[in-house]
Amino acid sequence: MLELKHGFKIDADKCNGRMSCMRACPTHAIRVKNGKARLIPELCIDCGSCLGVCSTGAIYATTITFAELDRFKFKVAVASPALFSQFGMKDTPAQVGRALLDLGFDAVWEYAVDIELIDRAITDCVKTWPGPFPLISDACPVVVRLIQVAYPSLVEHIVPIDAPREVAGRELKRRYSQELGLKPDEIAAIYITPCQAKTISILQPAEETKSYLDGAVGISQIYNNILSKMRKNTNTREIAGDLVSSSELLHWGAPEGEFPSLSREHYLPLTGLTDIMKVFNDVEKGKIRNIEFLECHACQGGCVGGNLTVENLYVARSKNLHLSASMPKPGPDFEEEVKRRYAIEDFSLRSSIKPRPIEGEVLDLRERVARRKRADELLRGLPLLNCGLCGAPTCKNHAEDVAALRADISDCVFLSRDRIDALRQIYKK
Amino acid sequence: MAAELLRESFEIQGRNFDKAGEVSGEIKVILRDLGIDPANLRRVVIVAYEGEMNVVMYANRATLTLILTDEDVNLEIVDEGPGIPDIELALQEGWSTASDEMRELGFGFGMGLPNMKKNSDEFRIESEVGKGTSVFAKIRLNSNA
Repeated sequence: MLELKHGFKIDADKCNGRMSCMRACPTHAIRVKNGKARLIPELCIDCGSCLGVCSTGAIYATTITFAELDRFKFKVAVASPALFSQFGMKDTPAQVGRALLDLGFDAVWEYAVDIELIDRAITDCVKTWPGPFPLISDACPVVVRLIQVAYPSLVEHIVPIDAPREVAGRELKRRYSQELGLKPDEIAAIYITPCQAKTISILQPAEETKSYLDGAVGISQIYNNILSKMRKNTNTREIAGDLVSSSELLHWGAPEGEFPSLSREHYLPLTGLTDIMKVFNDVEKGKIRNIEFLECHACQGGCVGGNLTVENLYVARSKNLHLSASMPKPGPDFEEEVKRRYAIEDFSLRSSIKPRPIEGEVLDLRERVARRKRADELLRGLPLLNCGLCGAPTCKNHAEDVAALRADISDCVFLSRDRIDALRQIYKK
Repeated sequence: MAAELLRESFEIQGRNFDKAGEVSGEIKVILRDLGIDPANLRRVVIVAYEGEMNVVMYANRATLTLILTDEDVNLEIVDEGPGIPDIELALQEGWSTASDEMRELGFGFGMGLPNMKKNSDEFRIESEVGKGTSVFAKIRLNSNA
């Protein structure tokens, strides 16, 4: 099987083994053995819950640095709309865009067009979709991975339309290579991301194709730089007047704004993994009827609540509303461009998304049942306290790990006194 | 003859709408973790859920037994309840004896049993009025799974 990549890394030297990440992980993908956290890659859905709770900074997002961008001749920023809600009430998207240019980007992409295109493509897809319903949005990479890992029967519900950031990457490479006479791989399409999950969707797209984007820079990673450029107001470069000027640009970050054209009655916007899982459980049972589309964001509050943002979710949303209300409606040029591109571009996902095999090894059904029975037996001997001292988040996980020969049953402190002494050694100050 | 690999039973309480769907949820997790392929998993979950809802709506209590063999998944739902006087009629789409109250909750549109039948490879109902109903459903696993 292809090696699974993830949007973050664990620095073993910094990890102090305090298990916050292991307890926070919704898919139980982390184990802490010998005082160090490690990942079971098949189970990780890149939600980033571990990143937020790590007290030592041992878990960090694998975004790219500016130095890595030097190999490109022309660098284009595709900024998540969440970026523009991170600053003061008086800071306009145009100022943020200018700061990005001052930081070394050669252009800031008019991403609102791509967002509008995908809104239309999805609206049309919902109208002609033969089923099964409801369709599920694929813009949030965590949701796609959650389905692959925990809801394999729902892969057919994932809307077969590419994410707007991918469509932006494709078009900007086409346009600038034509205009500037460069090869597409000399042009960098860099996404300014509110979360580490979108990094992984670039490194290793769920549909097993190659991303049109070349990397992602976290909002929190360049926040200070943008702020200082904006405050210094160094107007070193000329900037096109219409750059980042449309209010459509601000829709993407807020969950309800994602698909303004869909009928409210038959469309559910969902945010937060817990709530999404509740609804998915119902979809699997065939309980959700008369709903055509589920728009899902793993982060509470949508992308403005992403784990690489700086401003708190509620202030950011208020700022978002403020911007939407105060910015002028998109002009006829915008509409023309959307129309022109909609007529000629294909927005379908390049290949279908498949469930992720959970087992690293291939076992037949008999062996899997035998393993499950063994885990059930082992679980009866465990205290069911989920203390985590064995290094697994729950007693059930420990029993499964032992049955899969990934752990030793005596790692449980209730079964082995030596384990306490061993832990004392590991966690000795 | 297919070899039985796993057998687990679950109790379902009649008229407990609060917990409705929990048993089919558990069955899904078991079979998903055993790597049952998604298309068959989906069918099993729908059959289990519709069966569970029928018990919740009409019966006093029931036992749902999941039997996994190396060839198929079997669901047996044996309830203590009013029984079905005319099984053929009950299997017609749209036929329902649900109360208005149940319909207000979004159930009882006469699709439960037909939906179970549609998603099963073998489907059988036995019923005695005044005693209860037993439903047997078989979902075959693909030979290449």
